[in-house]
Amino acid sequence: MAVPISQMWTVATYVLKKRFTGEKRYPLVLMLEPLFRCNLACAGCGKVQYPPHILKKQLTPEECFAAVEECGAPMVSIPGGEPLLHPQIVEIVNGLIARKRYIYLCTNALELKRRLPEFTPSKYLTFSVHLDGQREHHDFSVCREGGYDLAVEGIKEAVKRGFRVTTNATFFDGTDPNQVRGFFDDVMEMGVEGIVLSPGYSYEKAPDQHRFLGRARVRRLFRAILSNRKKTWKFNMSPLFLEFLMGDRKYECTPWGSPAYNIFGWQRPCYLLQDGYADSFKELLETTRWEEYGVASGNPKCANCMVSCGYEPSAVIDGFGSLKGIWAMIRGTFSKYPDQHALNLLNEPAPHGPASLVQIARPDREFEETRA
Amino acid sequence: MTAEVLKYTLEQVENLELAPGTEHHQLEGWIPDLATDDEVRDALEKAFDYRGDVSITLKSGEKIEAYIFNRHTGVTLPESWVQYFTPKSNDKLKLSYAEIARLEFSGKDRAAGKHWEDWVKAYNERKAAGEKGIALHPEKLE
Repeated sequence: MAVPISQMWTVATYVLKKRFTGEKRYPLVLMLEPLFRCNLACAGCGKVQYPPHILKKQLTPEECFAAVEECGAPMVSIPGGEPLLHPQIVEIVNGLIARKRYIYLCTNALELKRRLPEFTPSKYLTFSVHLDGQREHHDFSVCREGGYDLAVEGIKEAVKRGFRVTTNATFFDGTDPNQVRGFFDDVMEMGVEGIVLSPGYSYEKAPDQHRFLGRARVRRLFRAILSNRKKTWKFNMSPLFLEFLMGDRKYECTPWGSPAYNIFGWQRPCYLLQDGYADSFKELLETTRWEEYGVASGNPKCANCMVSCGYEPSAVIDGFGSLKGIWAMIRGTFSKYPDQHALNLLNEPAPHGPASLVQIARPDREFEETRA
Repeated sequence: MTAEVLKYTLEQVENLELAPGTEHHQLEGWIPDLATDDEVRDALEKAFDYRGDVSITLKSGEKIEAYIFNRHTGVTLPESWVQYFTPKSNDKLKLSYAEIARLEFSGKDRAAGKHWEDWVKAYNERKAAGEKGIALHPEKLE
């Protein structure tokens, strides 16, 4: 089990309280983006393409604390941009720890080893290190040679100093499931607490518009990766969300489950889509036209999305919402998911390694669009 | 999302192999006509989506350099507004659609002109030339 009992207990009691009080929409993880500035220029990222005066702006610690308290989510993910570039990130983290929030500080770890002495290990603080695969794959994915080695140095130093550390991988078309499984072995050997993974979202502003996985291909890829698991692998995610990625479960998106707050305000409708901003969390919940988003809406911007920020809240709420859900989570945590069909998928020729990415063709539309 | 947007059926969504990417439109330098209400609405929707600064001339004659990050479309132009930052201010400012006389997509489009294929090509060429530490770097904050 990768997630500590105290964190699971906090989340479970939070979900149950919300259920008993009849709250229909509530957040589980606040996506707190203190800045958009980054020290990488990844091809699959659509988060950092702004004019310099916007990239220079950042949330103050007070704005971060106010957002956390207003939203009330028990967990806070700090993505960006690169949070370690924020000059007051230590103050922000310490303030959130004092408020007993479970923090996932998402970093590319280029600066992690250097900055670690400024942080204090805590059960509330996890460094979630962006690592997309083994050395060659990761470096190619983040468009920087040497990025993997720097990140791994940071991970090892953080583990040595007693910090909670997870890795966080995003997968696009061309991912070789065998390489990913090898990557899981590598990161578990580094001593991380668990692995976090997700298919990439088709950001409209990302430079690479040709490698976003559709849902059918996501299910096939993740079935190959996540079936026949090794005993050593630990996942810092809901087992039911992993089953969703493998195609064993159907969920609708819960966009309010991971609300995003940044220099513009509360982002509508979710962390991934930018359809405007609200001034308060209450306004976000009450005035967003939620029915216009998610797979069931037919919105093309949501069509390929199976990303954790929308679907993991659905899985967590399902898991803690009934005895059946709790039992499914226990079973999922300890199951190896034996699957002969998935083994056969692993024996198929590798789709594309980084070296052959040049051959990726433009996607064919499998279906005609229709007016619903 | 507007009613005119093409929608997918659930069956289509579940069977998608690759998600169709977005085709970027060249907006940098564009000066839209703002003769009708629809033209104003359309231009400001594009400005909201644009990842660069725009120059706004108000009906009063005042000129504003702005990054538009939010918009609200009401029934009439006076009820509709954009929200923006200027390069010199940290305050979020609001402006009614009805006050705007001219709009120019004057700033560099920060989401345009970067393609995965360019990175792959450059990487392969530089690798073949024996270069080490090949990387794409974020643009400098002027």
